[in-house]
Amino acid sequence: MTTGEITSDLLRGSIATLEIAGGAWAVSATVGLAFAMVRDVGVLPIRLATVAVTAVLRSTPQLILLYLVFFGLPSIGVNVGGLTAAIVVLGVADASFNAEYYRASLLTVAPMQRDAGMSLGFSRLGTLGFVVLPQAMLYMVAPLLNSFLSLLKTATLASAIGVPEILYRGQNDIQLTGRVVAVIVVVIALYAVACMPLIRLISLVERRARERLYT
Amino acid sequence: MQSSWLHILWIGLEVTLRLSLYTIVFSIVVAAAFAVASISQRRLVRWTVRFVVDLLRSIPILALLIFVYYGLGKYIASWNIDPFWMAVGALTLGEAAFLSEVFRAGLEAVPRAQWEAATSLGFRRSSALGRIIAPQAVLPSIPGVVNMSIFTFKDSSLASVIAVPEVTQVANQLVSETFKPLQVYLLLAGFYLVVILPFTALAGVAERAVTRYYGLRVDKTSVARN
Repeated sequence: MTTGEITSDLLRGSIATLEIAGGAWAVSATVGLAFAMVRDVGVLPIRLATVAVTAVLRSTPQLILLYLVFFGLPSIGVNVGGLTAAIVVLGVADASFNAEYYRASLLTVAPMQRDAGMSLGFSRLGTLGFVVLPQAMLYMVAPLLNSFLSLLKTATLASAIGVPEILYRGQNDIQLTGRVVAVIVVVIALYAVACMPLIRLISLVERRARERLYT
Repeated sequence: MQSSWLHILWIGLEVTLRLSLYTIVFSIVVAAAFAVASISQRRLVRWTVRFVVDLLRSIPILALLIFVYYGLGKYIASWNIDPFWMAVGALTLGEAAFLSEVFRAGLEAVPRAQWEAATSLGFRRSSALGRIIAPQAVLPSIPGVVNMSIFTFKDSSLASVIAVPEVTQVANQLVSETFKPLQVYLLLAGFYLVVILPFTALAGVAERAVTRYYGLRVDKTSVARN
């Protein structure tokens, strides 16, 4: 295998990586919002349950959640494909982080806004959705970008359950060709090209949001 | 049956704890060095370190582990380095990159006037940093350190893919012997929860305390992602 062939093989892997990260990101953004909204407007037992579930999800290694779903669930008759398992598990695990960020961004909106919404006759959910949420959006941009960055990286865990993403293919290429250095350089280059601009962008957006919040 | 599972997993957990502890200690040292270099007055030093930190933050930790294992393995096979130490090395690189940003934010949060006051009292830059600036950056960095420790415990499970006999690797073996993946992995998740949940609680407490102390100046780091 030439370096060119290794590169094109890894690029094919990067499509799977993008599928996992993109899918998981969509799951995380929606489920995270659901967690945050339930915690905001739900009844007390449900709120406590949400707090507990997100804390457990944040405290368990994603690899083990992945093993539980991919290797564990089939023994009770639920079979999940590798790609689906990766998207759902990584997405839901990341949602437990996003939930906290959504909540923090909701807290940036002055309580008076909520009172005003209620006094205009909005329900609690309506106040949240039409009054508070739109004002909190700005502070969710950085966390959501961060979420995607993080998922691009954790997508590599899917290699442990046989999904042919970048790292899985990279390991195969190493074993087939023994060209360790070439594979390592290409994988790192691919990740650097995708992630380094994203890291800069995130810190820029964070700075903007902070300036707006504290001035 | 179950009690022998617990016993077997316990042996693996000891390796997990040792792996995490070494990583945490080394990460704090490496991250401190990165952070100090990243606020250097020499532009070349500053830019180089920031580039390296961004690069390390771009590489997935699992990739770091596998590359250290395969990549170095070929060249240093004769040195007989235990995969345990390869895992400590790879995890340290990944966690230190994250933590150095926490430390840097802590250093940069110290008001500029403190530097000026130190200079006017005749401190050299290095002793101003060591005696005046850095001590003030310690407290706001604590939530970040707790958080990095949580990441380390979680990420140490990745060392199972390079055959470090930590608790996840032990669980994998148990699964291949018992064919009971659901039960074993649920138990394994329980092990991690018992270790990590107190830290999660501590991170929240530390962050609230520091936020109260400093007003609104500290960002929400207790749920930061690696």
